[in-house]
Amino acid sequence: MKKKVTKIISLMAVFGCVTLSFTSCSKHDPNSPGVEFAPDMYRSPSLESNLFYVNKNADGTFDTLASNRLPVAGTIPRGFMPYGYPNTLEGYEAAGLNLHNPLPKTDENLQRGEFLFNRFCSPCHGKSGEGDGIVGSKLPGPPPSYKTVLKNLPEGKMFHTLTYGKNLMGSHASQLTKEERWKVIMYVQKLQGNDAATVATDSTKKEPVVVAVKAEKPKK
Amino acid sequence: MDTICKQPKKQILAKFSLLIFSFFLSINCVSAQDGEKIFKQNCAVCHSLGSNTIVGPGLQGVISRVPSEEWMFKWIQNNEALIKSGDAYAVKVSTFSPAAMPSFTTLADADIKAVIKYVKEYKEPAPVAATAASGATAPVEKGANPLAILIGVLAFLILLVAILRAVRYSLKNIQNANSGLPNDAKIGFWKEFKNSVNAHKRTTALVILFLLGGCLSSGWYALKGIGVYEGYQPTQPIAFSHKIHAGDNAIDCQYCHSGAEKSKTAGIPSVNVCMNCHKGISKGPITGKTEIAKIYEAAGWDPDKGAYTKPQKPIQWIKVHNLPDFVFFSHQQHVKVGQQDCATCHGDVKTMTTAVQVMPLTMVWCINCHRATEVPGMQSNPYYEKLHKNLTEKFKNQPFDQRKITVDRMGGIECSKCHY
Repeated sequence: MKKKVTKIISLMAVFGCVTLSFTSCSKHDPNSPGVEFAPDMYRSPSLESNLFYVNKNADGTFDTLASNRLPVAGTIPRGFMPYGYPNTLEGYEAAGLNLHNPLPKTDENLQRGEFLFNRFCSPCHGKSGEGDGIVGSKLPGPPPSYKTVLKNLPEGKMFHTLTYGKNLMGSHASQLTKEERWKVIMYVQKLQGNDAATVATDSTKKEPVVVAVKAEKPKK
Repeated sequence: MDTICKQPKKQILAKFSLLIFSFFLSINCVSAQDGEKIFKQNCAVCHSLGSNTIVGPGLQGVISRVPSEEWMFKWIQNNEALIKSGDAYAVKVSTFSPAAMPSFTTLADADIKAVIKYVKEYKEPAPVAATAASGATAPVEKGANPLAILIGVLAFLILLVAILRAVRYSLKNIQNANSGLPNDAKIGFWKEFKNSVNAHKRTTALVILFLLGGCLSSGWYALKGIGVYEGYQPTQPIAFSHKIHAGDNAIDCQYCHSGAEKSKTAGIPSVNVCMNCHKGISKGPITGKTEIAKIYEAAGWDPDKGAYTKPQKPIQWIKVHNLPDFVFFSHQQHVKVGQQDCATCHGDVKTMTTAVQVMPLTMVWCINCHRATEVPGMQSNPYYEKLHKNLTEKFKNQPFDQRKITVDRMGGIECSKCHY
């Protein structure tokens, strides 16, 4: 009887040592998420956003599936309005002449515009729009200032540039909705120092833009 | 009367100051011979000094390409007029890119000369950066496996015990021989162990209790860690550093993860977002060109031609913060109405070289926060007006410190809010 007890106790001691050594060493690999309870709930068969799926085919080959995909060709989101100006030099000029901000110039819109400008534009263009952002200084050349070179840039051209990108600047259409782009433009006009004109001629919007285009015409 | 008398004086003053002003301006123009400065301010956005295309053609050897230096002046100052005049070379150059080059009417001939001189004399810096970069991609340090160390130590201890036992046995026999006694009977290791356990029962019981406690507690923590990703830091297909982007360059989190305000997921940025900056930045401070080249490969961008000519390949980023399917979570709610900072749940990502999950993302972690946090965006949001009024009314007789309308007080810890 006594022998049995000692045997059991010593067995337990050995077992304890082994368990301790195993449990104390788990979770050291940063590439492993650890033990998962019900893994199919973490990596569900239905497509979840931002996960990359690898499917094994019947013949042993693998298909990779990205969950972020382009919409099916020919489909449009609900409420979508196409942008009518093509990504060409003519489209750019035409947008400058004919495209105007549909949003009313309110403090709320302007504040939101400032917020979005600081988030999406200031890394390169700088908080004041002088082209002195931290990222801008690392580009081959800083972006031109709103107060000099881009002083008379009409709002339609700004929208066109935000939508398609221009020179080194890429398209921001995937990050900013159309409304948000117009709000940003509202704030850029404030930085240009042209916002007073927009306020004064809010009801007859066409006038200041045409004037601005005329002033801008000699350079292209 | 007074004003009329003063007018001529004012005019003279005005003319004089204009003269001085123009004098300084002209001095400025003359001294503006710094070709490098002019180049960086006006040209570098579109033109590189090498042979690669950014937007316009690279300017290496440009002077030997164009008809004359005077042609260069005309082209830079007003290329539109030059094209319209029917100049053959100008027409040919204008077809290079769909984007037209702006006219730099403000640049004088002398300025352009300085720029041309700078372009001519520019030599590419020796490729020191490349070797530095390859050195910088430090080999991944492989720490020794703790299990292997443990087994090694155990083996060493067992060996030591065996040797000491053998030494003790032979010493005892020498002693026996000296005093004329017969050799000791050999006792097995296991038997001796049992004997010593029998002799020290209390100590053995203590050791066993200690081991049992250790087993239970470590087992408990191991069980608690199931399904918890805390500390998960997968190696990503591109060595992207949040520290450089969000920390050093102070880019807002939501420049790239722009879905956080608008959708359930914050979103892993698509390659076009990377290219917004990396079209112009092809060399990083740590890994040089190697990692950024991977973005170019994914986007199908040819950095020499400055165009998207190659096939595109998606980057297979590995999701770090992953909630299981049985729980609903929306970034939009937390960022827009809850006005929570990204760092509340994701930690100080601005200091992370490789993104790591620092929070457990367990249910108790969610609920503890919901019990303590108010919803700042609720008061100003008309959608919640009635709810906010009712809740204020309901808790107004509570002691002051319990009047807070926390998330749980509007049903934020009900099961079906997140599990349905």
